[in-house]
Amino acid sequence: MLSVRQIVKVFNKGTINEKVAIDHLSLELDPGDFVTVIGSNGAGKSTLLNSVAGNFPVDSGEIAIDGRDITNLPQHKRAGLISRVFQDPMLGTAASMTIEENMIMAFKRGHNRRLRRAIGSRERALFKEKLALLGLGLESRLTNKVSLLSGGQRQALTLLMAALQEPKLLLLDEHTAALDPKTAEKVLDLTSRFINGANLTTLMITHNLDHALAYGNRTIMMHEGRIILDIKGNERSNMTIARLLEMFEKASGTHINNDRMILA
Amino acid sequence: MSTQVWLSTLEQGLMYSLMVLGVYLTFRVLDYADLSVDGSFTLGAAIAAILISTGHNPWAATALAFIGGLLAGIFTGILHTKFNITPLLSGILTMTALYSVNLRVMGKANISLLRTRTIFSDFEKIPFIGSHGVLALTLATVIIVGIILYLFLETEIGLALRATGDNEMMIKSQGVNTDIMKVLGLALSNGLVAFAGSYVAQNQQFADVGMGIGMIIAGLASVIIGEVLVGTSSVARTIIAVIVGGVLYRVIIAVVLQLGLEPTDLKLVTALIVILALTSPALKKKFKLKNPVLSGKGEN
Ligand SMILES: Nc1ncnc2c1ncn2[C@@H]1O[C@H](COP(=O)(O)OP(=O)(O)O)[C@@H](O)[C@H]1O
Ligand SMILES: [Mg+2]
Repeated sequence: MLSVRQIVKVFNKGTINEKVAIDHLSLELDPGDFVTVIGSNGAGKSTLLNSVAGNFPVDSGEIAIDGRDITNLPQHKRAGLISRVFQDPMLGTAASMTIEENMIMAFKRGHNRRLRRAIGSRERALFKEKLALLGLGLESRLTNKVSLLSGGQRQALTLLMAALQEPKLLLLDEHTAALDPKTAEKVLDLTSRFINGANLTTLMITHNLDHALAYGNRTIMMHEGRIILDIKGNERSNMTIARLLEMFEKASGTHINNDRMILA
Repeated sequence: MSTQVWLSTLEQGLMYSLMVLGVYLTFRVLDYADLSVDGSFTLGAAIAAILISTGHNPWAATALAFIGGLLAGIFTGILHTKFNITPLLSGILTMTALYSVNLRVMGKANISLLRTRTIFSDFEKIPFIGSHGVLALTLATVIIVGIILYLFLETEIGLALRATGDNEMMIKSQGVNTDIMKVLGLALSNGLVAFAGSYVAQNQQFADVGMGIGMIIAGLASVIIGEVLVGTSSVARTIIAVIVGGVLYRVIIAVVLQLGLEPTDLKLVTALIVILALTSPALKKKFKLKNPVLSGKGEN
């Protein structure tokens, strides 16, 4: 499905701030894989997702989806294949526009946009039905501006939008980290329902090791721009957080001192 | 003020509100501080004036003025998107270049349109309209342009344009080429501004190479006045607000003139209106925070 081969991403090349964020990283995803991604701050997790989404070109290596080489495709042309939810709830929606306007934009992801009225009664009916799945009462607020929603509501909406037009690949970057614990659980629950319902191939970054093991079918751990651990199947079902930390220390050769990653 | 003054203020206000709609498209919809406006307003006037004064059809001249503005906007857009020049500098470059272009187009610093056929003189020939030709045509134009703009902003492309100004990262990840959206928005904006310029020139029966100076600030003042008084709760309402703002701005100017200020003081008055709007605490809350373009701490 997703095939990442030997990619390298260096920031601020040739300056004293040079930073190798991704270091000859390779990753193969099977269709329907739901991979959780963990690793300390600065490990390169977001950079990996940004490279796949095409926020910037990689310095070397190749990226392909379903055998199609997308390494040199600009971000907006990859959008037909990939949808994303960011950590910041503000980033996923246009605040000054209404809920239905935001949804239609996501509904048209990867399609040509034309000079015709964007929203009709058919779309409205569809959006109502989809919004009802969130259980937040948003189905009666189609013409409300998104700026009126809370962070959790916005993030749930963003998630719904990401799944509205089924993507080949779903990228989630700590998308519940900015929410309060209760809302985070709710959004995460929705996430797994959407992913399992449509069998979406997913990369989900999380700093919560509990979640990393509880959700998905495979977990990778990153350190200094590389994948240092890749577990699935039995090895993963028998995994505990304590063992995961131990393995991190062994594989990375460093002591983990990141509270954020330890604490659930 | 006499009825005559009121009437001509209303006519001018409606004409200028076409320009204000253009400014609204960049400053508000695209969140882009485009200073090309001063040049493209004159460009529209210059194109219309030279064509009309050399005996061409005034309606065709007006259409070409619009197209000239489109091209000016595309030029600014390409400077910004292809060559990564900041919005402010891109606009200033276009504005500066247009000053020479406008002189070339006109061939001299001003052109008189006295006693020539214009779109207004054509309109005055229509039965029952007669001497109300200017008001009738301008009002009809503003209504039609306002409706077209509203319908456009509700289309799939219109939504993508609005989202480009609201959350570029989001709409990019939905597959929109935001560079194209910016060029499109700038083109339409400057097209409208030039269109307004051609109306103003035909109404006042002359074009002058300096007539666009300060237009951007007048446009901005109008947008702010309209938004404060009418509100921005929906796209339709904002468009109406912008038109009302354009007219009210002219009314304020007319009143100031009646109070005895010289026409040459008007730019100062306009700047003061904008400064007042941007520094009054209530408005500051409403606009400064929302709009990085106006806050002085923007990314530009
Ligand atoms: N746009 C950027 N410019 C410069 N350095 C960056 C940029 N993005 C990320 N980095 C650096 O690359 C490294 C990896 O960052 P990131 O992928 O955000 O880590 P993670 O998401 O795992 O916390 C960090 O050292 C970070 O400072
Ligand atoms: Mg990150």
